[in-house]
Amino acid sequence: MSLLISVKEAEFTFLKEKTNSTAGNLSVQIQKLKESGYIDVIKQFKDNYPQTICKITKQGINAFEEYVKNLQTYLDKT
Amino acid sequence: MEQEKPLGQQESIQLITEMIQKVKHHFHESGTSAILWGSVVGIAGLVNFVELYWKFYIGFDIWLLVLAAVIPQVFITIRENRTRKIITYTEAAINAIWLVYGISIFLLVFYFNTVPAATDKLLSQHGVILLRRNSDGTIDAFRYFIPSHGSLLLLLFGIPTMATGIAHKFRIMVWSAILCYIFFLISCFTSNVYDMLLCGLAGIFNWLIPGLVLRKKYMRQKALSV
Repeated sequence: MSLLISVKEAEFTFLKEKTNSTAGNLSVQIQKLKESGYIDVIKQFKDNYPQTICKITKQGINAFEEYVKNLQTYLDKT
Repeated sequence: MEQEKPLGQQESIQLITEMIQKVKHHFHESGTSAILWGSVVGIAGLVNFVELYWKFYIGFDIWLLVLAAVIPQVFITIRENRTRKIITYTEAAINAIWLVYGISIFLLVFYFNTVPAATDKLLSQHGVILLRRNSDGTIDAFRYFIPSHGSLLLLLFGIPTMATGIAHKFRIMVWSAILCYIFFLISCFTSNVYDMLLCGLAGIFNWLIPGLVLRKKYMRQKALSV
């Protein structure tokens, strides 16, 4: 989510590279985020290869901002 | 599949910061387009200077090279879009600015090519002919480039409007900017009197109407959050 909040859209391969995840793990995470409505996933073909593009949704941005705000509140108290 | 390890608060903040930094440092601007346009405009400008200074003509308008450069630019754009893995918000906004810049340059060239003839026509409709007295005493007809100030203003009005409309995906502003460009095209053929009318209409359609739409959305959102 931190990666997606910084960009308009990102390819699956970029997310895999930056998170050092396996394709399987990342796919599971992406599916969970998609089911929660936090990201949109677009599957298309580029040069006959499947391409997956992820974009954060408004709901995802709000949820992430809420999460960071809660983290900061907790850290300020400790 | 690996078990998910719950993160502590400090670890979470650290991870978020690290990921945001990874995007910031991911460099994907190849510089190819800048090299292309820098070379083309540089060559055209310098060759044109040489032609004018030493008073000779190479046989064709060197600035046509700039027009021809659009073709490789299209291929560069297609190739770069294929290899691109992310689009940042900054990039999307800057792309909008360059697109609008391209449209504006094209319209400015149209302006340079149409305004002199249109001015001649408007002057002759009022029975006015511009004449020049040369130093040897002879008098001949003279075509002087009288700038159409209203047209230039309309061209400028369209630039931020279109860029904002594209960057924010605010369709009303995109359509307003297109209307502004239509007003610009019309103004290349009309007198100053009508240019001012077009400028006034541009102000209303470019900014007043979109502003009222934004105000309505803002007030609605404010009412919901109270």
